[in-house]
Amino acid sequence: MTATAHAVGRQPTVASATSAVVLDGLTKSFTRQRGWRAVLTRQTRELVRALSDVSCEVRSGEFFGLLGENGAGKTTLFKILATLVTPDAGSATVAGFDVRREPARVREILAPVIADERSLNWRLSARENMRLFASLHGLRGAEAARRIDELLALVNLVDAAERLVNGFSSGMKQRLLVARTLLARPRVLLLDEPTRSLDPISARAFRAFLRDEIALAQGCTVLLATHNAEEAFELCDRVGVLHRGHLVAVGTTSDLAREVGEDRFALWVRPADQRAIDALLARGVIRDAKPFATDEQGWSRIECDLRGGAEGAAETVAYLTHAGVSVSRCEPVKLSLADLLERVLARHGAGGGRA
Amino acid sequence: MHKVWALIRASWLAASSYRLGIIFSFGSLIVSVVPIFFITGALQSTMANVIRGQGGQYFAFLVLGLVTLNVVSSTIYALPGGLQGATSTGTLEALLATPTPVSALLVGLSGYEVLFALVRGGVMLVAAAILGARVEWAHLGASVPIVALVVLAHLPIAIITAAMVLAFRTRGPLPQLVLLASTFLGGVYYPTTVIPGWLESLSAFVPLTYGLHALRAVLLEGQGILTVWPEIAMLTAISVGTLVLSILAFRAALAYARRVGNLAQY
Repeated sequence: MTATAHAVGRQPTVASATSAVVLDGLTKSFTRQRGWRAVLTRQTRELVRALSDVSCEVRSGEFFGLLGENGAGKTTLFKILATLVTPDAGSATVAGFDVRREPARVREILAPVIADERSLNWRLSARENMRLFASLHGLRGAEAARRIDELLALVNLVDAAERLVNGFSSGMKQRLLVARTLLARPRVLLLDEPTRSLDPISARAFRAFLRDEIALAQGCTVLLATHNAEEAFELCDRVGVLHRGHLVAVGTTSDLAREVGEDRFALWVRPADQRAIDALLARGVIRDAKPFATDEQGWSRIECDLRGGAEGAAETVAYLTHAGVSVSRCEPVKLSLADLLERVLARHGAGGGRA
Repeated sequence: MHKVWALIRASWLAASSYRLGIIFSFGSLIVSVVPIFFITGALQSTMANVIRGQGGQYFAFLVLGLVTLNVVSSTIYALPGGLQGATSTGTLEALLATPTPVSALLVGLSGYEVLFALVRGGVMLVAAAILGARVEWAHLGASVPIVALVVLAHLPIAIITAAMVLAFRTRGPLPQLVLLASTFLGGVYYPTTVIPGWLESLSAFVPLTYGLHALRAVLLEGQGILTVWPEIAMLTAISVGTLVLSILAFRAALAYARRVGNLAQY
């Protein structure tokens, strides 16, 4: 894997000694459920391609983000890795063990954080939930008790350990789910939108917990599926972008942003002379200009792509100044996740725009 | 085994957190013995002849039949019920993602319900004994392997039903059919000898027939376990034969669910 963002080709992925997860040509389709009419009229079953020839390598200790729209294939990929769904073609290995041929070994190494709070037993206390899964992971007696205490402390649930889970907040349940998953000291952790039901402050605290405790202290390899830009940019060493089952790009978030968004700038101009802007658009110096509201001092913020990066910015400022338009500021814009995704998809010919 | 007990313990803790439910469960059991006592008392003279050799007392005969039927019903429904519950709550995914053998999950998910039915059965027998049911308590130990075989003989029905739940999200008609056959052909309310000829031959295909015959011989007649070896042999044969088939069916259902991706859908 290179450090820079790139489209994912069809070369087979080669596992190295430092590979935690290796996907090679992974493909999975599901049959769409038919209605009664379709069954009675014997219409053929419609296949939905969830993953298509996905190849990728995630290194040991890496925090890897999976981005993509709803239905892009993120959850299917996670379920395959967790041995809950079998792939149609291709292979997936976790620490060298094939998910299809050696599922028991994979389950000893990899643990999915089932983000659904209901997967906890709400009529049991936090400690009893932990005790059950400790037993299922083969931990017993004093060792299990010690590990449970350790993890409840780690997720800051010691004071609530004896309380029934049905009285927990969403944040507490999420932390308990993570603690439950860590019981077996997994080397690879799968997190599917772990902060989706958390308020912003709890989500931030949870992200800090993931970064500091799970990734840094425990040294876990983490695969994180998320729709949250902050999460992806803050936590992930690299991200992969899935689109309709295809892995269209892999790279660091900054590389991806640089590749698809380095030309995005915001200009503060006065007055907002539309003719000057149109002229720049016509000359191809700027693209995709989005004007924002004018402030009390009459400055208008215009966000656009500038051809040629900084040089293009200088040219634009000079042109506007010459046209009698004052420019008070011109600075690069950090892309939102939605913009980033949209641009990655457009760049890699995956339909562009929203699917 | 440790994993099985952990699952059973968790089920017990969850169930016992509904304290009123537990109290009502035992309360209703004890109360239900009273009408049975009076009804069977009224029918005693009519039934005395036909249940000779099976205790001779209709009250004890019927209570033991109902207790065993309840255990059979719990055995058949516990696993698919547990599986449906675990699927709808999302617990199943979490359980399957642990390195726990599927067989341990199956026994663990259904174990509590079966054990609870046995405890309820014990309470019902004691309540009946207080009201005058003649039970050979000294032979209680000999009844344990018979009860275990009754459970084992019906476990395959539970596993096949669970396979149906896993693959197609429905229990199918099998559990109702088996329970219906057990109720009317297994000798719960009356001995199989009073059933018309052609129906009586069908009762030979009902595992409960052998279980109840053996249990009544041991617990109501005070016979030794060796005297009921034909019934024990038949229950063992049914258990071994169908258990293997049911486990294969469950594995196939699990593989199917993993292939179509509906393992955690409900």
